Amino acid sequence: MISLLELTKTYGRGADAVIVLDRLNFEVGTGEIFAVTGPSGAGKSTLAQCINLLERPTSGSVVVNGEDLSSLPEKRLRAARRRIGTVFQSASLLSRRTASENIALPLEYLGVTPGEIRARVGELIDRVGLGPKAHSYPFQLSGGQAQRVGIARALALRPSILLADEATSGLDPDTTSSVVELLKQLRTDLDLTVVFITHEMDTVRQIADSVARLERGRIVETGRLVDLLTDHGSPLGRALQPRRGFAAADDGAATWYVTYDSTDVPGDWIQRVSADLAVPVHLLGASVETVHGINTGSATLGIAAASDDAVRAVLARYGLSGTPDVRREPGPGGAPVSPVRSGAVPALEGAA
Amino acid sequence: MSAVGVSSVPIGSIYVPRADVPVAELPALLLPAYGETVLMVGVVMVVVLAVGTPLGLLLHNVAPGGLFERPALHAVLGWLISVGRSLPFLILMASIVPFTRFITGTNIGIAAAVVPMSLAGIAFFTRIVENALRSVPPSIVRVARASGGSNLQIMRSAQFGEAVPAVLGGLTIQVIAMIEYSAIAGTIGAGGIGYVAVTYGYQRFDNTVMLATILILVATVAFVQVAGDRLVRWVTPQKRLQRA
Repeated sequence: MISLLELTKTYGRGADAVIVLDRLNFEVGTGEIFAVTGPSGAGKSTLAQCINLLERPTSGSVVVNGEDLSSLPEKRLRAARRRIGTVFQSASLLSRRTASENIALPLEYLGVTPGEIRARVGELIDRVGLGPKAHSYPFQLSGGQAQRVGIARALALRPSILLADEATSGLDPDTTSSVVELLKQLRTDLDLTVVFITHEMDTVRQIADSVARLERGRIVETGRLVDLLTDHGSPLGRALQPRRGFAAADDGAATWYVTYDSTDVPGDWIQRVSADLAVPVHLLGASVETVHGINTGSATLGIAAASDDAVRAVLARYGLSGTPDVRREPGPGGAPVSPVRSGAVPALEGAA
Repeated sequence: MSAVGVSSVPIGSIYVPRADVPVAELPALLLPAYGETVLMVGVVMVVVLAVGTPLGLLLHNVAPGGLFERPALHAVLGWLISVGRSLPFLILMASIVPFTRFITGTNIGIAAAVVPMSLAGIAFFTRIVENALRSVPPSIVRVARASGGSNLQIMRSAQFGEAVPAVLGGLTIQVIAMIEYSAIAGTIGAGGIGYVAVTYGYQRFDNTVMLATILILVATVAFVQVAGDRLVRWVTPQKRLQRA
Protein backbone atom coordinates (compact mmCIF):
# COMPACT_ATOMS: atom_id res chain seq x y z
CA MET A 1 0.00 0.00 0.00
CA ILE A 2 1.24 3.44 -0.84
CA SER A 3 -0.19 6.80 0.13
CA LEU A 4 0.70 10.33 -0.72
CA LEU A 5 0.01 12.91 1.96
CA GLU A 6 -0.09 16.56 0.96
CA LEU A 7 2.76 15.89 -1.45
CA THR A 8 4.13 19.17 -2.76
CA LYS A 9 7.07 19.81 -5.04
CA THR A 10 8.31 23.26 -5.95
CA TYR A 11 11.31 24.23 -8.02
CA GLY A 12 13.15 27.45 -7.39
CA ARG A 13 12.78 29.78 -4.46
CA GLY A 14 10.96 32.93 -3.46
CA ALA A 15 9.16 34.81 -6.20
CA ASP A 16 10.49 32.53 -8.95
CA ALA A 17 9.27 29.34 -7.30
CA VAL A 18 7.19 27.10 -9.53
CA ILE A 19 4.75 24.75 -7.87
CA VAL A 20 4.89 21.56 -9.89
CA LEU A 21 2.87 19.38 -7.53
CA ASP A 22 0.34 20.97 -5.25
CA ARG A 23 -0.71 19.06 -2.11
CA LEU A 24 -1.48 15.71 -3.70
CA ASN A 25 -3.31 13.12 -1.67
CA PHE A 26 -4.15 9.63 -2.72
CA GLU A 27 -3.93 6.11 -1.45
CA VAL A 28 -3.45 2.95 -3.46
CA GLY A 29 -4.33 -0.28 -1.74
CA THR A 30 -2.48 -3.57 -2.05
CA GLY A 31 -3.41 -5.33 -5.27
CA GLU A 32 -4.87 -2.17 -6.77
CA ILE A 33 -3.88 -0.53 -10.04
CA PHE A 34 -4.14 3.22 -9.78
CA ALA A 35 -3.70 5.24 -12.95
CA VAL A 36 -2.61 8.86 -12.95
CA THR A 37 -3.32 10.62 -16.17
CA GLY A 38 -3.14 14.14 -17.46
CA PRO A 39 -1.81 16.35 -20.23
CA SER A 40 1.88 17.03 -20.88
CA GLY A 41 3.33 19.39 -18.31
CA ALA A 42 0.76 18.48 -15.66
CA GLY A 43 3.51 17.17 -13.38
CA LYS A 44 3.25 13.46 -14.12
CA SER A 45 6.96 12.81 -14.45
CA THR A 46 7.77 14.86 -11.35
CA LEU A 47 5.16 12.84 -9.49
CA ALA A 48 6.83 9.64 -10.71
CA GLN A 49 10.21 10.84 -9.49
CA CYS A 50 8.76 11.71 -6.09
CA ILE A 51 7.10 8.31 -5.78
CA ASN A 52 10.25 6.34 -6.58
CA LEU A 53 12.22 8.74 -4.37
CA LEU A 54 14.55 10.03 -7.06
CA GLU A 55 13.31 13.47 -6.07
CA ARG A 56 12.60 14.54 -2.54
CA PRO A 57 9.25 16.29 -2.11
CA THR A 58 9.38 19.89 -0.91
CA SER A 59 6.76 19.01 1.67
CA GLY A 60 4.33 16.22 2.37
CA SER A 61 5.23 12.57 2.31
CA VAL A 62 5.25 9.28 0.49
CA VAL A 63 4.18 6.52 2.85
CA VAL A 64 4.78 2.88 1.92
CA ASN A 65 3.22 0.22 4.13
CA GLY A 66 2.98 2.67 7.00
CA GLU A 67 6.53 4.03 6.77
CA ASP A 68 7.24 7.59 5.65
CA LEU A 69 10.03 7.12 3.12
CA SER A 70 10.39 10.63 1.77
CA SER A 71 11.88 12.06 4.97
CA LEU A 72 14.64 9.45 5.32
CA PRO A 73 18.27 10.58 5.29
CA GLU A 74 20.11 10.16 1.97
CA LYS A 75 21.76 6.83 2.85
CA ARG A 76 18.57 5.12 3.91
CA LEU A 77 16.72 6.68 1.00
CA ARG A 78 18.80 4.53 -1.35
CA ALA A 79 17.71 1.39 0.49
CA ALA A 80 14.13 2.63 0.52
CA ARG A 81 14.17 2.97 -3.30
CA ARG A 82 14.54 -0.79 -3.47
CA ARG A 83 11.04 -1.21 -2.08
CA ILE A 84 9.58 0.50 -5.12
CA GLY A 85 10.17 -1.03 -8.54
CA THR A 86 10.01 1.36 -11.45
CA VAL A 87 9.20 0.51 -15.06
CA PHE A 88 10.41 3.37 -17.22
CA GLN A 89 9.32 4.50 -20.64
CA SER A 90 11.07 2.55 -23.42
CA ALA A 91 12.74 0.32 -20.82
CA SER A 92 16.07 2.23 -20.84
CA LEU A 93 18.20 -0.87 -20.89
CA LEU A 94 21.98 -0.82 -20.68
CA SER A 95 22.98 -1.41 -24.28
CA ARG A 96 26.11 -3.45 -23.53
CA ARG A 97 24.35 -5.92 -21.25
CA THR A 98 22.16 -8.83 -22.24
CA ALA A 99 18.54 -9.07 -21.13
CA SER A 100 19.61 -11.24 -18.18
CA GLU A 101 22.42 -8.91 -17.20
CA ASN A 102 20.02 -5.96 -17.28
CA ILE A 103 17.61 -7.74 -14.99
CA ALA A 104 20.50 -8.57 -12.67
CA LEU A 105 21.48 -4.91 -12.22
CA PRO A 106 19.53 -4.16 -9.02
CA LEU A 107 20.68 -7.47 -7.54
CA GLU A 108 24.30 -6.64 -8.28
CA TYR A 109 23.88 -3.25 -6.65
CA LEU A 110 22.47 -4.94 -3.59
CA GLY A 111 25.46 -7.30 -3.47
CA VAL A 112 23.60 -10.57 -4.02
CA THR A 113 25.87 -13.56 -4.71
CA PRO A 114 26.30 -14.62 -8.37
CA GLY A 115 24.55 -17.92 -7.74
CA GLU A 116 21.49 -16.28 -6.25
CA ILE A 117 21.47 -13.68 -9.02
CA ARG A 118 21.40 -16.45 -11.63
CA ALA A 119 18.51 -18.20 -9.95
CA ARG A 120 16.47 -15.05 -9.43
CA VAL A 121 17.07 -13.73 -12.96
CA GLY A 122 16.09 -17.07 -14.45
CA GLU A 123 12.88 -17.01 -12.47
CA LEU A 124 12.09 -13.44 -13.53
CA ILE A 125 12.86 -13.92 -17.18
CA ASP A 126 10.51 -16.91 -17.31
CA ARG A 127 7.82 -14.97 -15.53
CA VAL A 128 7.83 -12.22 -18.16
CA GLY A 129 7.95 -14.85 -20.92
CA LEU A 130 11.38 -14.03 -22.31
CA GLY A 131 13.24 -17.28 -21.64
CA PRO A 132 14.61 -17.70 -25.19
CA LYS A 133 15.78 -14.08 -25.26
CA ALA A 134 17.77 -14.23 -22.01
CA HIS A 135 21.10 -13.73 -23.74
CA SER A 136 19.96 -11.23 -26.35
CA TYR A 137 21.21 -7.67 -26.30
CA PRO A 138 18.73 -4.77 -26.22
CA PHE A 139 19.20 -4.03 -29.93
CA GLN A 140 17.98 -7.54 -30.67
CA LEU A 141 14.73 -7.05 -28.73
CA SER A 142 11.45 -5.57 -29.92
CA GLY A 143 9.92 -2.69 -28.00
CA GLY A 144 7.59 -5.04 -26.16
CA GLN A 145 10.36 -7.49 -25.28
CA ALA A 146 12.56 -4.65 -24.01
CA GLN A 147 9.69 -3.44 -21.85
CA ARG A 148 9.29 -6.95 -20.42
CA VAL A 149 12.96 -6.85 -19.46
CA GLY A 150 12.28 -3.47 -17.84
CA ILE A 151 9.41 -5.00 -15.87
CA ALA A 152 11.50 -7.97 -14.76
CA ARG A 153 14.27 -5.60 -13.65
CA ALA A 154 11.77 -3.54 -11.67
CA LEU A 155 10.60 -6.71 -9.91
CA ALA A 156 14.09 -8.08 -9.21
CA LEU A 157 14.18 -6.95 -5.58
CA ARG A 158 10.62 -8.12 -4.83
CA PRO A 159 9.17 -4.64 -4.31
CA SER A 160 5.68 -4.29 -2.92
CA ILE A 161 5.05 -1.20 -5.04
CA LEU A 162 5.40 -1.06 -8.81
CA LEU A 163 5.55 2.34 -10.47
CA ALA A 164 5.00 2.43 -14.21
CA ASP A 165 6.11 5.75 -15.64
CA GLU A 166 4.73 5.98 -19.20
CA ALA A 167 5.63 2.31 -19.42
CA THR A 168 3.53 1.67 -22.53
CA SER A 169 4.02 5.00 -24.26
CA GLY A 170 5.56 4.54 -27.65
CA LEU A 171 4.49 0.91 -27.98
CA ASP A 172 2.03 -0.18 -30.65
CA PRO A 173 -1.52 -1.09 -29.50
CA ASP A 174 -1.02 -4.87 -29.59
CA THR A 175 2.23 -4.66 -27.65
CA THR A 176 0.63 -2.25 -25.19
CA SER A 177 -2.16 -4.78 -24.61
CA SER A 178 0.27 -7.60 -23.95
CA VAL A 179 2.34 -5.49 -21.56
CA VAL A 180 -0.87 -4.40 -19.79
CA GLU A 181 -1.98 -8.04 -19.48
CA LEU A 182 1.41 -8.95 -18.02
CA LEU A 183 1.20 -6.15 -15.45
CA LYS A 184 -2.32 -7.16 -14.46
CA GLN A 185 -1.27 -10.75 -14.03
CA LEU A 186 1.79 -9.79 -11.99
CA ARG A 187 -0.37 -7.60 -9.83
CA THR A 188 -2.57 -10.58 -9.04
CA ASP A 189 0.24 -13.11 -8.63
CA LEU A 190 2.53 -10.93 -6.53
CA ASP A 191 -0.09 -8.82 -4.79
CA LEU A 192 1.53 -5.65 -6.10
CA THR A 193 0.37 -2.13 -5.57
CA VAL A 194 0.65 -0.49 -8.98
CA VAL A 195 0.83 3.22 -9.75
CA PHE A 196 0.46 3.57 -13.49
CA ILE A 197 1.32 6.99 -14.89
CA THR A 198 0.34 7.58 -18.49
CA HIS A 199 -1.21 10.07 -20.87
CA GLU A 200 -2.89 7.30 -22.88
CA MET A 201 -6.58 7.03 -22.03
CA ASP A 202 -7.00 3.78 -23.97
CA THR A 203 -4.40 2.14 -21.75
CA VAL A 204 -6.04 3.50 -18.61
CA ARG A 205 -9.32 1.84 -19.63
CA GLN A 206 -7.48 -1.45 -20.08
CA ILE A 207 -5.57 -1.50 -16.85
CA ALA A 208 -6.85 0.77 -14.09
CA ASP A 209 -9.03 0.05 -11.09
CA SER A 210 -9.03 3.72 -10.13
CA VAL A 211 -8.00 6.84 -11.97
CA ALA A 212 -6.85 10.32 -11.04
CA ARG A 213 -6.49 13.21 -13.41
CA LEU A 214 -3.58 15.54 -12.81
CA GLU A 215 -3.80 19.05 -14.19
CA ARG A 216 -1.34 21.85 -13.49
CA GLY A 217 0.03 19.98 -10.48
CA ARG A 218 -3.32 19.21 -8.89
CA ILE A 219 -5.56 16.21 -8.84
CA VAL A 220 -8.72 17.60 -10.39
CA GLU A 221 -10.76 14.42 -10.41
CA THR A 222 -10.41 10.91 -9.09
CA GLY A 223 -12.56 7.84 -8.78
CA ARG A 224 -13.08 4.21 -9.65
CA LEU A 225 -12.76 3.58 -13.37
CA VAL A 226 -16.21 2.01 -13.67
CA ASP A 227 -17.87 4.89 -11.84
CA LEU A 228 -16.16 7.45 -14.02
CA LEU A 229 -17.00 5.65 -17.25
CA THR A 230 -20.68 5.45 -16.36
CA ASP A 231 -20.99 9.03 -15.16
CA HIS A 232 -21.75 11.40 -18.03
CA GLY A 233 -21.23 14.36 -15.72
CA SER A 234 -17.57 13.48 -15.20
CA PRO A 235 -15.06 15.27 -17.45
CA LEU A 236 -12.53 12.54 -16.72
CA GLY A 237 -15.11 9.89 -17.57
CA ARG A 238 -15.77 11.60 -20.89
CA ALA A 239 -12.05 11.96 -21.54
CA LEU A 240 -11.67 8.22 -20.93
CA GLN A 241 -14.17 7.35 -23.67
CA PRO A 242 -12.49 6.51 -26.94
CA ARG A 243 -13.03 9.13 -29.62
CA ARG A 244 -13.78 7.84 -33.05
CA GLY A 245 -15.14 9.30 -36.21
CA PHE A 246 -18.72 8.62 -37.21
CA ALA A 247 -20.88 8.60 -40.30
CA ALA A 248 -23.20 11.41 -41.36
CA ALA A 249 -26.84 11.33 -40.36
CA ASP A 250 -29.58 11.31 -43.02
CA ASP A 251 -31.19 14.56 -44.06
CA GLY A 252 -33.66 15.63 -41.46
CA ALA A 253 -32.22 13.42 -38.74
CA ALA A 254 -30.44 14.87 -35.72
CA THR A 255 -27.10 13.48 -34.59
CA TRP A 256 -27.03 12.29 -30.99
CA TYR A 257 -23.99 11.44 -28.86
CA VAL A 258 -25.03 8.82 -26.35
CA THR A 259 -22.98 7.48 -23.44
CA TYR A 260 -23.60 4.57 -21.10
CA ASP A 261 -24.63 6.30 -17.90
CA SER A 262 -25.30 3.32 -15.66
CA THR A 263 -23.99 -0.15 -15.05
CA ASP A 264 -27.06 -2.00 -16.35
CA VAL A 265 -27.70 -0.81 -19.89
CA PRO A 266 -29.51 -3.60 -21.79
CA GLY A 267 -27.66 -5.07 -24.74
CA ASP A 268 -30.50 -4.42 -27.18
CA TRP A 269 -31.03 -0.81 -26.18
CA ILE A 270 -30.95 0.54 -29.76
CA GLN A 271 -33.96 -1.55 -30.79
CA ARG A 272 -35.79 -0.62 -27.62
CA VAL A 273 -35.11 3.10 -28.06
CA SER A 274 -36.25 2.89 -31.67
CA ALA A 275 -39.43 1.06 -30.66
CA ASP A 276 -40.21 3.45 -27.83
CA LEU A 277 -39.69 6.49 -30.04
CA ALA A 278 -41.47 4.83 -32.99
CA VAL A 279 -38.82 6.16 -35.38
CA PRO A 280 -35.81 4.46 -36.96
CA VAL A 281 -32.54 4.89 -35.11
CA HIS A 282 -29.45 4.91 -37.30
CA LEU A 283 -26.16 3.78 -35.82
CA LEU A 284 -23.47 6.20 -37.05
CA GLY A 285 -20.62 5.14 -34.81
CA ALA A 286 -20.06 3.29 -31.57
CA SER A 287 -17.48 1.98 -29.17
CA VAL A 288 -18.65 -0.42 -26.51
CA GLU A 289 -16.55 -2.61 -24.26
CA THR A 290 -16.64 -4.45 -20.97
CA VAL A 291 -14.57 -2.88 -18.21
CA HIS A 292 -14.45 -4.76 -14.91
CA GLY A 293 -17.53 -6.73 -15.94
CA ILE A 294 -19.57 -3.64 -16.77
CA ASN A 295 -20.60 -2.62 -20.28
CA THR A 296 -19.53 0.93 -21.01
CA GLY A 297 -19.06 3.00 -24.08
CA SER A 298 -20.62 5.54 -26.31
CA ALA A 299 -22.55 5.67 -29.57
CA THR A 300 -23.44 8.25 -32.15
CA LEU A 301 -26.97 7.92 -33.48
CA GLY A 302 -29.01 9.54 -36.22
CA ILE A 303 -32.58 10.03 -34.96
CA ALA A 304 -35.25 11.70 -37.05
CA ALA A 305 -38.33 13.37 -35.62
CA ALA A 306 -39.41 13.46 -32.00
CA SER A 307 -38.53 16.27 -29.66
CA ASP A 308 -35.13 16.36 -28.01
CA ASP A 309 -36.75 15.95 -24.63
CA ALA A 310 -38.56 12.81 -25.74
CA VAL A 311 -35.32 11.30 -26.97
CA ARG A 312 -33.56 12.16 -23.71
CA ALA A 313 -36.33 10.62 -21.68
CA VAL A 314 -36.30 7.37 -23.62
CA LEU A 315 -32.49 7.15 -23.44
CA ALA A 316 -32.58 7.72 -19.70
CA ARG A 317 -35.04 4.82 -19.39
CA TYR A 318 -32.23 2.47 -20.46
CA GLY A 319 -29.48 4.08 -18.40
CA LEU A 320 -28.12 6.19 -21.23
CA SER A 321 -27.32 9.85 -21.49
CA GLY A 322 -27.64 11.72 -24.77
CA THR A 323 -26.70 15.09 -26.19
CA PRO A 324 -27.97 16.23 -29.58
CA ASP A 325 -25.76 17.75 -32.25
CA VAL A 326 -22.25 16.53 -31.81
CA ARG A 327 -20.44 19.32 -33.61
CA ARG A 328 -18.18 19.82 -30.58
CA GLU A 329 -17.07 16.22 -30.52
CA PRO A 330 -13.61 15.74 -31.99
CA GLY A 331 -13.04 13.37 -34.88
CA PRO A 332 -10.36 10.68 -34.88
CA GLY A 333 -7.56 13.18 -35.37
CA GLY A 334 -8.69 15.21 -32.40
CA ALA A 335 -9.86 18.06 -34.61
CA PRO A 336 -13.47 19.20 -34.36
CA VAL A 337 -15.75 17.59 -36.90
CA SER A 338 -17.82 20.07 -38.83
CA PRO A 339 -21.54 19.34 -38.69
CA VAL A 340 -21.94 17.75 -42.10
CA ARG A 341 -25.47 16.44 -42.58
CA SER A 342 -25.15 14.72 -45.91
CA GLY A 343 -22.85 13.93 -48.77
CA ALA A 344 -19.34 13.98 -47.40
CA VAL A 345 -18.05 11.56 -44.80
CA PRO A 346 -17.27 13.52 -41.64
CA ALA A 347 -14.98 10.89 -40.23
CA LEU A 348 -12.58 11.30 -43.11
CA GLU A 349 -12.80 15.05 -43.01
CA GLY A 350 -12.00 15.00 -39.34
CA ALA A 351 -8.92 12.93 -39.97
CA ALA A 352 -7.58 15.09 -42.77
CA MET B 1 84.61 38.50 -57.86
CA SER B 2 82.21 35.80 -58.49
CA ALA B 3 84.78 33.77 -60.38
CA VAL B 4 87.32 34.19 -57.59
CA GLY B 5 84.77 33.33 -54.96
CA VAL B 6 83.69 30.20 -56.65
CA SER B 7 87.14 28.90 -57.23
CA SER B 8 88.69 29.85 -53.88
CA VAL B 9 86.05 28.48 -51.58
CA PRO B 10 85.82 24.75 -51.67
CA ILE B 11 82.26 23.65 -51.81
CA GLY B 12 82.92 21.15 -49.08
CA SER B 13 83.57 23.84 -46.47
CA ILE B 14 80.04 25.23 -46.86
CA TYR B 15 78.21 22.04 -47.52
CA VAL B 16 79.82 18.81 -46.60
CA PRO B 17 77.93 16.05 -48.33
CA ARG B 18 77.58 13.21 -45.88
CA ALA B 19 76.61 9.72 -46.60
CA ASP B 20 73.10 8.80 -45.41
CA VAL B 21 72.97 6.04 -42.84
CA PRO B 22 73.15 2.82 -44.85
CA VAL B 23 69.89 0.92 -44.97
CA ALA B 24 71.52 -2.07 -43.33
CA GLU B 25 72.27 0.03 -40.25
CA LEU B 26 68.79 1.49 -39.95
CA PRO B 27 67.41 -1.20 -37.62
CA ALA B 28 70.25 -0.64 -35.16
CA LEU B 29 69.40 3.06 -35.11
CA LEU B 30 65.62 2.91 -35.27
CA LEU B 31 64.67 -0.11 -33.18
CA PRO B 32 65.98 1.18 -29.85
CA ALA B 33 64.44 4.57 -30.66
CA TYR B 34 61.13 2.88 -31.44
CA GLY B 35 61.36 1.02 -28.17
CA GLU B 36 61.83 4.34 -26.37
CA THR B 37 58.79 5.82 -28.08
CA VAL B 38 56.66 2.82 -27.11
CA LEU B 39 57.95 3.03 -23.54
CA MET B 40 57.27 6.76 -23.30
CA VAL B 41 53.78 6.55 -24.76
CA GLY B 42 53.05 3.44 -22.72
CA VAL B 43 54.04 4.98 -19.39
CA VAL B 44 52.15 8.18 -20.23
CA MET B 45 49.03 6.24 -21.19
CA VAL B 46 49.04 4.30 -17.92
CA VAL B 47 49.24 7.57 -15.97
CA VAL B 48 46.64 9.22 -18.21
CA LEU B 49 44.15 6.36 -17.85
CA ALA B 50 44.66 6.09 -14.11
CA VAL B 51 44.16 9.81 -13.50
CA GLY B 52 42.06 10.96 -16.44
CA THR B 53 39.28 8.38 -16.08
CA PRO B 54 38.32 9.22 -12.49
CA LEU B 55 38.86 12.90 -13.23
CA GLY B 56 36.49 12.72 -16.20
CA LEU B 57 33.87 10.97 -14.06
CA LEU B 58 34.33 13.57 -11.34
CA LEU B 59 34.08 16.47 -13.78
CA HIS B 60 30.92 15.02 -15.31
CA ASN B 61 29.21 14.41 -11.98
CA VAL B 62 30.04 17.66 -10.20
CA ALA B 63 28.52 19.48 -13.17
CA PRO B 64 24.89 20.64 -12.94
CA GLY B 65 22.70 17.57 -13.39
CA GLY B 66 25.47 15.21 -12.26
CA LEU B 67 25.23 12.69 -9.45
CA PHE B 68 26.82 15.03 -6.89
CA GLU B 69 26.62 18.59 -8.14
CA ARG B 70 29.39 20.92 -6.93
CA PRO B 71 29.23 23.99 -9.17
CA ALA B 72 32.34 25.65 -7.66
CA LEU B 73 34.50 22.54 -7.97
CA HIS B 74 33.24 22.03 -11.50
CA ALA B 75 34.22 25.57 -12.46
CA VAL B 76 37.72 25.24 -11.00
CA LEU B 77 38.35 21.80 -12.53
CA GLY B 78 37.01 22.85 -15.89
CA TRP B 79 39.17 25.94 -15.90
CA LEU B 80 42.33 24.00 -14.99
CA ILE B 81 41.73 21.47 -17.70
CA SER B 82 41.02 24.14 -20.27
CA VAL B 83 44.31 25.85 -19.45
CA GLY B 84 46.12 22.55 -19.84
CA ARG B 85 44.38 21.98 -23.15
CA SER B 86 44.97 25.46 -24.53
CA LEU B 87 48.78 25.58 -24.26
CA PRO B 88 50.64 24.22 -27.30
CA PHE B 89 52.56 21.18 -26.11
CA LEU B 90 56.00 22.65 -26.84
CA ILE B 91 55.21 25.66 -24.68
CA LEU B 92 53.65 23.59 -21.89
CA MET B 93 56.77 21.43 -21.86
CA ALA B 94 59.10 24.41 -21.66
CA SER B 95 57.06 26.28 -19.08
CA ILE B 96 56.92 23.47 -16.55
CA VAL B 97 60.63 22.58 -16.61
CA PRO B 98 61.07 23.49 -12.91
CA PHE B 99 58.16 21.24 -12.01
CA THR B 100 59.55 18.44 -14.14
CA ARG B 101 62.94 18.82 -12.51
CA PHE B 102 61.28 18.72 -9.09
CA ILE B 103 59.45 15.49 -9.91
CA THR B 104 62.15 13.60 -11.84
CA GLY B 105 65.37 15.38 -10.86
CA THR B 106 66.23 16.05 -14.50
CA ASN B 107 64.91 18.01 -17.43
CA ILE B 108 66.14 15.85 -20.25
CA GLY B 109 65.46 12.27 -21.27
CA ILE B 110 62.48 9.99 -21.17
CA ALA B 111 61.64 10.55 -17.51
CA ALA B 112 61.54 14.30 -18.09
CA ALA B 113 59.33 13.92 -21.17
CA VAL B 114 56.81 11.76 -19.33
CA VAL B 115 55.85 14.57 -16.95
CA PRO B 116 54.64 17.19 -19.47
CA MET B 117 53.20 14.48 -21.71
CA SER B 118 51.18 13.09 -18.80
CA LEU B 119 49.88 16.52 -17.83
CA ALA B 120 48.82 17.38 -21.36
CA GLY B 121 47.46 13.85 -21.82
CA ILE B 122 45.41 13.93 -18.62
CA ALA B 123 43.76 17.21 -19.64
CA PHE B 124 43.06 15.73 -23.08
CA PHE B 125 41.69 12.44 -21.79
CA THR B 126 39.57 14.02 -19.06
CA ARG B 127 37.67 15.89 -21.76
CA ILE B 128 37.36 12.72 -23.82
CA VAL B 129 35.86 10.84 -20.87
CA GLU B 130 33.56 13.76 -19.99
CA ASN B 131 32.36 13.94 -23.57
CA ALA B 132 31.76 10.20 -23.72
CA LEU B 133 29.77 10.29 -20.47
CA ARG B 134 27.64 13.12 -21.76
CA SER B 135 26.41 10.87 -24.56
CA VAL B 136 24.92 8.38 -22.06
CA PRO B 137 21.16 9.08 -21.87
CA PRO B 138 20.08 10.53 -18.50
CA SER B 139 17.32 7.90 -18.37
CA ILE B 140 20.00 5.23 -17.90
CA VAL B 141 21.27 7.01 -14.80
CA ARG B 142 17.70 7.33 -13.49
CA VAL B 143 17.24 3.59 -13.95
CA ALA B 144 20.45 2.91 -12.04
CA ARG B 145 19.43 5.22 -9.20
CA ALA B 146 15.96 3.71 -9.02
CA SER B 147 17.61 0.27 -8.93
CA GLY B 148 19.26 1.27 -5.67
CA GLY B 149 22.79 1.86 -6.94
CA SER B 150 25.34 3.88 -4.98
CA ASN B 151 27.08 6.73 -6.78
CA LEU B 152 30.15 4.58 -7.28
CA GLN B 153 28.09 1.68 -8.65
CA ILE B 154 26.16 3.99 -10.95
CA MET B 155 29.34 5.59 -12.27
CA ARG B 156 30.92 2.22 -12.92
CA SER B 157 28.11 0.19 -14.42
CA ALA B 158 25.72 2.73 -15.90
CA GLN B 159 27.77 5.76 -16.82
CA PHE B 160 31.20 4.38 -17.63
CA GLY B 161 29.85 0.99 -18.72
CA GLU B 162 27.66 2.58 -21.35
CA ALA B 163 30.37 5.04 -22.41
CA VAL B 164 33.09 2.40 -22.94
CA PRO B 165 32.88 2.37 -26.76
CA ALA B 166 33.08 6.17 -26.91
CA VAL B 167 35.93 6.21 -24.40
CA LEU B 168 37.87 3.64 -26.44
CA GLY B 169 37.28 5.66 -29.60
CA GLY B 170 38.68 8.67 -27.79
CA LEU B 171 41.54 6.60 -26.41
CA THR B 172 42.60 5.78 -29.97
CA ILE B 173 42.79 9.48 -30.77
CA GLN B 174 44.67 10.01 -27.53
CA VAL B 175 47.35 7.38 -28.23
CA ILE B 176 47.99 8.89 -31.64
CA ALA B 177 48.24 12.37 -30.11
CA MET B 178 50.69 11.02 -27.54
CA ILE B 179 52.91 9.56 -30.27
CA GLU B 180 52.95 13.02 -31.78
CA TYR B 181 53.78 14.60 -28.41
CA SER B 182 56.62 12.13 -27.94
CA ALA B 183 58.16 13.38 -31.18
CA ILE B 184 57.94 16.96 -29.93
CA ALA B 185 59.45 15.82 -26.65
CA GLY B 186 62.33 14.53 -28.77
CA THR B 187 63.51 18.12 -29.05
CA ILE B 188 64.40 18.11 -25.34
CA GLY B 189 66.41 14.99 -25.85
CA ALA B 190 63.71 12.61 -24.78
CA GLY B 191 64.83 10.02 -27.28
CA GLY B 192 62.45 7.99 -29.33
CA ILE B 193 61.65 7.88 -32.98
CA GLY B 194 60.85 11.61 -33.09
CA TYR B 195 64.28 12.43 -31.74
CA VAL B 196 65.93 10.36 -34.49
CA ALA B 197 63.78 12.07 -37.11
CA VAL B 198 64.81 15.49 -35.84
CA THR B 199 68.54 14.86 -35.37
CA TYR B 200 69.20 12.66 -38.38
CA GLY B 201 66.46 13.47 -40.80
CA TYR B 202 66.09 17.20 -40.19
CA GLN B 203 69.41 18.47 -38.83
CA ARG B 204 71.66 16.18 -40.90
CA PHE B 205 69.52 16.04 -44.03
CA ASP B 206 69.56 12.28 -43.89
CA ASN B 207 66.74 11.48 -46.24
CA THR B 208 66.98 7.75 -45.69
CA VAL B 209 66.41 8.08 -41.95
CA MET B 210 63.72 10.69 -42.50
CA LEU B 211 61.83 8.41 -44.89
CA ALA B 212 62.25 5.43 -42.59
CA THR B 213 60.91 7.33 -39.54
CA ILE B 214 57.98 8.63 -41.58
CA LEU B 215 57.12 5.09 -42.71
CA ILE B 216 57.38 3.77 -39.19
CA LEU B 217 55.20 6.53 -37.77
CA VAL B 218 52.56 6.16 -40.50
CA ALA B 219 52.49 2.40 -39.97
CA THR B 220 52.29 2.81 -36.20
CA VAL B 221 49.44 5.32 -36.34
CA ALA B 222 47.58 3.15 -38.86
CA PHE B 223 48.01 0.14 -36.60
CA VAL B 224 46.77 2.03 -33.54
CA GLN B 225 43.75 3.28 -35.47
CA VAL B 226 42.83 -0.18 -36.78
CA ALA B 227 43.33 -1.73 -33.35
CA GLY B 228 41.22 1.01 -31.77
CA ASP B 229 38.43 0.57 -34.30
CA ARG B 230 38.44 -3.19 -33.70
CA LEU B 231 38.30 -2.70 -29.98
CA VAL B 232 35.37 -0.30 -30.26
CA ARG B 233 33.52 -2.80 -32.44
CA TRP B 234 34.24 -5.59 -30.02
CA VAL B 235 32.81 -3.71 -27.02
CA THR B 236 29.69 -2.60 -28.91
CA PRO B 237 27.31 -5.59 -29.05
CA GLN B 238 25.37 -4.22 -32.00
CA LYS B 239 28.49 -3.79 -34.15
CA ARG B 240 30.09 -7.01 -32.94
CA LEU B 241 27.09 -9.24 -33.59
CA GLN B 242 25.62 -7.67 -36.69
CA ARG B 243 28.86 -7.99 -38.59
CA ALA B 244 28.77 -11.75 -38.34
